[in-house]
Amino acid sequence: MKHKKIMIIIIIMIIILIFCVIYTVRSFRKPSGKHVLIIQENQIIYNIDLETAEDQEIKINYQNHYNIIKIQNHEICISEADCPDQTCIRTGVLKSETLPIVCLPHKLIIRYAEEGES
Amino acid sequence: MKLKKLTELALLTALALIIFVIEMRFPDIVPVPGVKLGLANIITVYAVFVYRPSETAMLVACRIILGAMFSGNMSALLYSVSGAFFCLLGMILISRFLKLKYIWLCSILGAMLHNTGQILAAVLIMQSTAVMSYLPVLILSGSIAGAFTGLCAQLVVNRMSQTNKTP
Repeated sequence: MKHKKIMIIIIIMIIILIFCVIYTVRSFRKPSGKHVLIIQENQIIYNIDLETAEDQEIKINYQNHYNIIKIQNHEICISEADCPDQTCIRTGVLKSETLPIVCLPHKLIIRYAEEGES
Repeated sequence: MKLKKLTELALLTALALIIFVIEMRFPDIVPVPGVKLGLANIITVYAVFVYRPSETAMLVACRIILGAMFSGNMSALLYSVSGAFFCLLGMILISRFLKLKYIWLCSILGAMLHNTGQILAAVLIMQSTAVMSYLPVLILSGSIAGAFTGLCAQLVVNRMSQTNKTP
């Protein structure tokens, strides 16, 4: 009986893992669109077309803190932030369609727009 | 609670914190936020199998709060708490009917639940499902890290049971 329970748990975990592997591999694909949304507190504050965007820096304030978003050579990244974890900067350039750049302390998300959203 | 047990738990908390602080200095292996080894969880997994659930919960709570203070990242506290809650719940439940040689399995499950809890907290705080897309990636990396910490915990449990037999 105990053995059976363990087997069920192992099988469920393997199924979840297979899904995760497929998803992770898929997330390396090149994005189809070029529209990028900058979202803060669930509100779209910028809608940028990377194809036509000039190189620029956008400063986004959140309460007393800020993030500086940099657009260069049709690529977007967060270049500076005063949050303690700096995760958003280490994420680097936005490459994947599925994985957004997230700054958790400042509730900021940068992601590719889905079709029909721009 | 006996003094001896209290001392042991305090020692383990200190150990977990030392591991946690050292791990903070490690460079990121993968440039995906949230992916890390979680070596301090070796102590958690060990405690789940050796101590009572309430004692383990105390140990983990101390480690999380002190760890957040040491890293100066109090905003991450909520995510850690939610992750650890799910992780502990799952690990304590599964450790009831697992033999000691399946520690790695318990650890992998704990890692999966930990990441799920973290993402859940993130979804609630951000009010947005965009962070959900990180969950599969985190579960995958968490399982690998979980298997590693589980193996480490296995080694620790084996050594400790040997030393306890021959004092």
